Amino acid sequence: MSKKIYEIVDKLPTGGLTVRALKTLDTFVPGQWNNLVGFDNTIKTVTGETDEAMVQAIGERAIALFNDKKQGYQSALWLYETVDSASGLLGAAALANRIGQDTFLGFLKNLSPKPEKAQTIDLVVKLVAEVVAFCKISGIPGDSLGDFLAALGDYSSESLVRMAALVSFDGIIPLGADFSTKALSAIKGMGASDLDNNQTFKGIKDEIPGHDSKSKLSFMTESFESTKGWMDKFVGDHNITQSKLVDNLGGFIEGSKGKLDYLGAFLDMSVKYYEHTGTQTLARRLIERAVAEI
Amino acid sequence: MSITRWLRRLAPLMVCLVLLVTACSSAPSKYDQVQKDTTGFGSPAAVNKKAEKGGTFNAFFPGDQGNYSVIPYQEKKGFAEYKLEQDGKTLAMLTISDTTSVPAAAEKYKGATESISGFPSVEQGSTATGVLVNDRYQVKVLSRDPSFTKADRVSWLQKFDLQGLAQLKGALKPVAKPTAALPETPTAATPPTAPAEPKTGLKLPKVQLPGLSPSLQPAS
Repeated sequence: MSKKIYEIVDKLPTGGLTVRALKTLDTFVPGQWNNLVGFDNTIKTVTGETDEAMVQAIGERAIALFNDKKQGYQSALWLYETVDSASGLLGAAALANRIGQDTFLGFLKNLSPKPEKAQTIDLVVKLVAEVVAFCKISGIPGDSLGDFLAALGDYSSESLVRMAALVSFDGIIPLGADFSTKALSAIKGMGASDLDNNQTFKGIKDEIPGHDSKSKLSFMTESFESTKGWMDKFVGDHNITQSKLVDNLGGFIEGSKGKLDYLGAFLDMSVKYYEHTGTQTLARRLIERAVAEI
Repeated sequence: MSITRWLRRLAPLMVCLVLLVTACSSAPSKYDQVQKDTTGFGSPAAVNKKAEKGGTFNAFFPGDQGNYSVIPYQEKKGFAEYKLEQDGKTLAMLTISDTTSVPAAAEKYKGATESISGFPSVEQGSTATGVLVNDRYQVKVLSRDPSFTKADRVSWLQKFDLQGLAQLKGALKPVAKPTAALPETPTAATPPTAPAEPKTGLKLPKVQLPGLSPSLQPAS
């Protein structure tokens, strides 16, 4: 059965680990993200329209656009969902129940940190997922990094917080302050077989430009290299550091200090920030288009 | 009798089953009808096959003016949108869409009592002012900040190259292969007069890339 975009947006959580983790980033990008949820609420907030008939008309057009597969919105949503679920491990729900309990520390000890190589591939695949999904949503050719970079400079609200989460949760926490340099050099030293063994890559590889793993790796390297400057500047401008991130997260993930690799693995399996903010980006763009077309 | 006894035992089970089934199905929504109409086999496409390419509209948008920046935002088949910013703050959205996909959008201009640059104009909702060019292309300015009033919307609508857009219909090339069964394609009487220097839109210097699969073309 077809997914209902209005239900997906209505069901976006207002609390929980993902939302709490994203809110800790407010320190670095203050006021950018206010966790906009609910389909009608998003229509009203984005367009400023409150008349019910108008809201209904905008909603109906947005739904029709989403349901037309050729428009690319469904595959963008799939990318945002899949890249999150493919990178996490099973058992997130079981883990979530342990938060705040004294057994949590014990649980962390049993969690295997992801090897640095896998973490690097995750970071790069997630970045490429953003390039491809964002291009699908906005209508930019998906292989055009130049266009993507221009759009990136204009990122705001949920899109900006998603990038902040990417560099923080998948970059700085697991790989350190020089994550971008480290990841770039690591990915340059990898071959197609390294990718083929990676779950995150396998999850979305069909959507990554390139006819085989080798050319996909080449596109991924190129994407990362082109975006590296933006990421480094972003980290510098917003003064994001590992210790600040850990301090903020420590507020609700007890016992995480001093166990950065475990914290990275924990975030990976329990925080679905791509899916959450990706859905919000998609809803916003759909609604912007719908209100203009009716 | 024994059947009655069985029924009596089964009743709580049945009640539970009914409760379970109803709990699983989602609550009815005011969007259920449109969901039904736009999904499944034979459902209509949201965008008409003959709709103009979004990129074609770029040429008719206004450019940056003073401290106002006009920034590319979306470009899909039959639709293009720019953001109007001043000092990093979004004031309004500027859009052009092809109403072939949404005929009701064009209908609303039939009763228009106002006009802008000679084209019928209407107010829609509390934040939008639009004009309809050649009964087909809808140009809208949508306020995103309370300081951006109706007068501002009208003023920015006048900055579009509406006359240029009006020439576009004649320059239209049929998207589908012309066959006898197709309805009449736009007349060739008007020569194509698209401006020589179209706005670049979302295009920027390209980065050299490896060979790409054909599936990664623009979404629409």
